[in-house]
Amino acid sequence: METIKEEKGRFDEWKLSARVFFANRTAVAGLVIFLLFVGDAIIVEVAPGLVGVQYPDSVVPPLFSITHPECVNQAPEPPSFDHPFGTTEYGVPGEGCLDVLQLVMKAIRIDLAISLFVVLVGAAVGTVIGVVSAYIGRLLDEAMMRITDVFFSVPFLILALALSFVLGRTVLNMAWALIIIWWPLYARYGRSLTLSTKEATYIEAAKAAGSGRLKIMFKHIFPNVVPPVLVQISLDVGTVVGIFATLAFIGVIPNALVPELGALANIGLNLAPLGYWWTVIVPGGTITLFSLAVNLMGDGLRDVIDPRRRS
Amino acid sequence: MKLWVYVLRRLILLVPTLIGLTLLVFALEHAGGPSVFLALYINPHLTGSARQQLVDQLTARFHLNDPIYVQYFYWLGAILQGDWGTSAQNGQAVTTNFVWFMPNTIMLTVVASLLTWVISIPIGVYSATRRDSVLDQGVRVATFTLYSMPIFLIGFALFLTFGTSWHLLPAQGNIDDNLLPTLSSKSWFDSNAVSYPTHIYLIDALLHGDVPIAWNAFLHVILPPVALTLALLAGIIRILRVSMLEVLDQDYIRLARAKGVPERTVNNFHAKKNALLPTVTTFGYLVSGLFGGAVVIEEIFGFKGIGWWTTMAFLNSDIAVVMGSTLVFGIVLVLTTLILDILYGFLDPRIRYE
Repeated sequence: METIKEEKGRFDEWKLSARVFFANRTAVAGLVIFLLFVGDAIIVEVAPGLVGVQYPDSVVPPLFSITHPECVNQAPEPPSFDHPFGTTEYGVPGEGCLDVLQLVMKAIRIDLAISLFVVLVGAAVGTVIGVVSAYIGRLLDEAMMRITDVFFSVPFLILALALSFVLGRTVLNMAWALIIIWWPLYARYGRSLTLSTKEATYIEAAKAAGSGRLKIMFKHIFPNVVPPVLVQISLDVGTVVGIFATLAFIGVIPNALVPELGALANIGLNLAPLGYWWTVIVPGGTITLFSLAVNLMGDGLRDVIDPRRRS
Repeated sequence: MKLWVYVLRRLILLVPTLIGLTLLVFALEHAGGPSVFLALYINPHLTGSARQQLVDQLTARFHLNDPIYVQYFYWLGAILQGDWGTSAQNGQAVTTNFVWFMPNTIMLTVVASLLTWVISIPIGVYSATRRDSVLDQGVRVATFTLYSMPIFLIGFALFLTFGTSWHLLPAQGNIDDNLLPTLSSKSWFDSNAVSYPTHIYLIDALLHGDVPIAWNAFLHVILPPVALTLALLAGIIRILRVSMLEVLDQDYIRLARAKGVPERTVNNFHAKKNALLPTVTTFGYLVSGLFGGAVVIEEIFGFKGIGWWTTMAFLNSDIAVVMGSTLVFGIVLVLTTLILDILYGFLDPRIRYE
């Protein structure tokens, strides 16, 4: 009897959360745009031919620019009915230049995967470290604070440059570099959230009832830490996409063959000043749209966990 | 806690951070072991005896055959003595390069942070005092969009519109290229295109009374700080607005209104100062963003500061400069944060009791 009641209570919580979220129109718009991006990524991953995307893993068809040198460096075409976002450098014989829309559709998949990978791994590692160090306290906590201080002491873009210099200039290494930069943020956040719940009466009750440290940390404190961390995750996904693309744009990924939005913009670096503005603005605008969507979503999620909005 | 105790405490906390910073930079270079370290320094196309000679030279210089903790102390000793290595790009000492390029970055970041505050305070306060008005909604939409834009897009959009499309302002370098030959004949210039005494063209030209060059240099330093400001503005306005809204909700504001203080005075006198206080804590975030942003903005505008120099070093595999500027930016950020923390402790006594 007792358990059934509890199940029902939890169900109502979810329903209430959904109601708070869907009452916020801009948050729903953010969710819809985000899902469109996810849908694009899934289609390109599973069935690229369905939407006419060729060679999903590279900008230029494999070996293409070597075997057909006459097609390289064609002038980009402006946006038109055939190419809604225009075309960019590199061409295909008989088919004209590469379509920016198609390139962007390819690229979204990689940006989405990278940002989710970076933020989820960083948040998981950081939050666990933060909760444990705040709960154990004393020397461990002090050590954690000093270590995170060191990571905060270098501007993150510079640290990202230095890390990817040492790790090697590939997409995956850049993702690891961003994880190394990102976990301290979550360690601090998880720490502050734990400190504010640590002294609660129910934790004292759990201690009195004989719960061990691990049980208190992961069964009693963690559920209170996860919701605000999830909100932070959804806000950070947009930031990570922006930073990743910015690094790619200034040339951290050595050639532009990887379809990634910043790297695509990098192709247009020398074209845009000649009047072919869409080669940079379209990939950049796509990042903005994505970032905007996850930020709106994050704001909506923040309302969901806000007790004042729930009442 | 007295103010001086607080300052002393912050100074003591500085020590582990600085040691940690040197450990971090040292680890970046050395964590992979001697072979990885050598690969960072040696051109992969170099082979044969020339390569062996370089390997021996580097092994001796960095004491690579000693245990790693001994290497760290040799490395730290060299850093403390000012031997930061030599840039592979121009053959000059890394420290010399920093002296050349740092003033431009300092100017860029100082101007951008001043602009950010001058613009964001009135907008944030105004938007909060007229909550949910058309203007407030507009500010929120604008800051939200700007906040979502990657920094390279903000910089590049300015570069494209004002620089290459409308030709309103020069968008590349610190001075027009065609002025460089005339510059080399000036006494306050050297063969490395470095000006004296401040290394900032605009200020040096003014000091020497060369108005045409100063004017040209001035035109070149308009777009980069504006771009950097736009990149930081949205975040600061959002923080200010929320902070102001929280303060306006306090009892003492209600009391002031109840006893008939004019709305204008309530906003400007009672609320604004208290709303500004918590935003000082976000200064660290601002400064970190400022330096990181400077890298991108300097690269886009070819503005010759440390950020531009670091990117060049990165793209040309110049490890001494990349590591050196990581350390320099780290030290500058740590010291700036320290000064701001002390300032905050001075402004708000409550912080000292935390």
